[in-house]
Amino acid sequence: MQFSKLAVCAALLLPATAMVAVAAAPHPAFKLRHDNFEAMGRAMKSTFDQFKKPTPNLATIRKNANVLAAAATKVKGHFPVGTGPEAGVKTEALAAIWARPADFAAATDRLVDTTKGLQAAAAGTDLAKIQAAAGAVGGSCKNCHDSFRKPRG
Amino acid sequence: MREAAVPVKLWDLPVRLIHWGFVVLLPLLWWSAESGRLGLHKTFGLVMLTLVVTRLLWGLVGSPTARFDGFLRGPRAILDYLKGRGETARAPVVGHNPLGGWSVMAMLTLLGAQVALGLVTQDVDGLESGPLNSLVSWDTAEAAREAHELLFNLILALVVLHLAAIAFYRFVRKDDLVRPMVTGRRRFSEAVAPPHLAPLWRAALCAVLAAALAGWVWLGAPPFGARYPWDQPALAPLDAADYM
Ligand code: HEC
Ligand code: HEM
Repeated sequence: MQFSKLAVCAALLLPATAMVAVAAAPHPAFKLRHDNFEAMGRAMKSTFDQFKKPTPNLATIRKNANVLAAAATKVKGHFPVGTGPEAGVKTEALAAIWARPADFAAATDRLVDTTKGLQAAAAGTDLAKIQAAAGAVGGSCKNCHDSFRKPRG
Repeated sequence: MREAAVPVKLWDLPVRLIHWGFVVLLPLLWWSAESGRLGLHKTFGLVMLTLVVTRLLWGLVGSPTARFDGFLRGPRAILDYLKGRGETARAPVVGHNPLGGWSVMAMLTLLGAQVALGLVTQDVDGLESGPLNSLVSWDTAEAAREAHELLFNLILALVVLHLAAIAFYRFVRKDDLVRPMVTGRRRFSEAVAPPHLAPLWRAALCAVLAAALAGWVWLGAPPFGARYPWDQPALAPLDAADYM
């Protein structure tokens, strides 16, 4: 009697714990996009640091432009359904990403376009042009964050 | 022996202006940051820098009631004051009492540290940043951002303590501290030696020095953190490998 009760409890609990374990391991997309966005943030800071320096290093700017252009193409794939605020994982992604997929796609496209633009500008040596192109990239970050990321502070 | 209660001028104009400047600026800094108006926030922040530095200089060369060497007292004097014994406790205090002096120092230190963190911090994207952000790494700037957020809460706590102390003096000790900070004058029940207030030109000099520092910081502290405004940017030479 005692034993069968235990067995029933165990039989009920095991799948439950297994389910909890599955739920606790967050979707890999969370880490992927975090790392990707942080790489973009670092590249942006490094680029804007160069603009302030007495002698901006064009090679550094080009390297950053390549990082940004490569990272930009990945953003689209980093938001599979089920990785929004409902996932119970700490995230700043807003439900609007999945509610307005066309607008979100437009925002990722704009990022891809502007980072390509920066790459193209950085191929030359006209610093004013490069700076304007980098500003356009910043505008595309802000454009998406304003509608699809939880405001901070 | 009861002297007619003569008003004594004890807070000079710079001390009062800077004090009320803090009162106005703190909510503005908070509001501009919370609403994401970072350009405005940085402008207010540099005004705050000017005020804090002016006050620090005034603490060295200002009127006796403004000077650190006058109002920063040792632990003995603080204990005596708290327990109401000894000379320090019985004599009327013209200026900060031994405990109040340290609270002024604590406030100036926190405000100065908050300004310093703001200068190097960045928003989450590395898009908006303080004028000296380019002098530090991404990770340092991120740490500064967290500390800038935390320190604001400490400043708020100190402000609350400050207001509580004023209320305590007002309602328990029946001593109004606010009015003297507005008019500069207060009445004493016995004759006291009025402090020799320092000349205003000296305060103006402190303010000019502080404003110059703020201006230099605003430019990004050339030549260290940025180039001089009149310098044309020069590109570093590239070798062929960079094109491939
Ligand atoms: C298409 C929309 C979009 C674009 C474009 C975009 N972001 Fe984001 N970004 C987001 C979202 C959504 C999050 C929140 C992700 C989360 O918390 O799961 C985010 C988060 C971030 C983070 C915080 C990462 C973390 O997890 O702490 C950084 C840094 C960042 N973005 C930088 C940038 C930069 C720099 C650019 C431009 C070069 C950019 N982003 C462009 C949508 C975008
Ligand atoms: C005593 C003076 C200051 C106070 C009280 C103050 C207060 C604040 C507060 C409350 C925030 C919001 C933090 C958050 O919740 O995210 C903030 C953010 C910020 N501050 Fe200040 N600040 C001060 C000085 C400065 C200065 C001098 C600068 C630079 C010129 C500066 C630059 C910034 C920047 C760039 C942010 C955005 C960081 C983020 O996104 O969190 N601050 N500040």
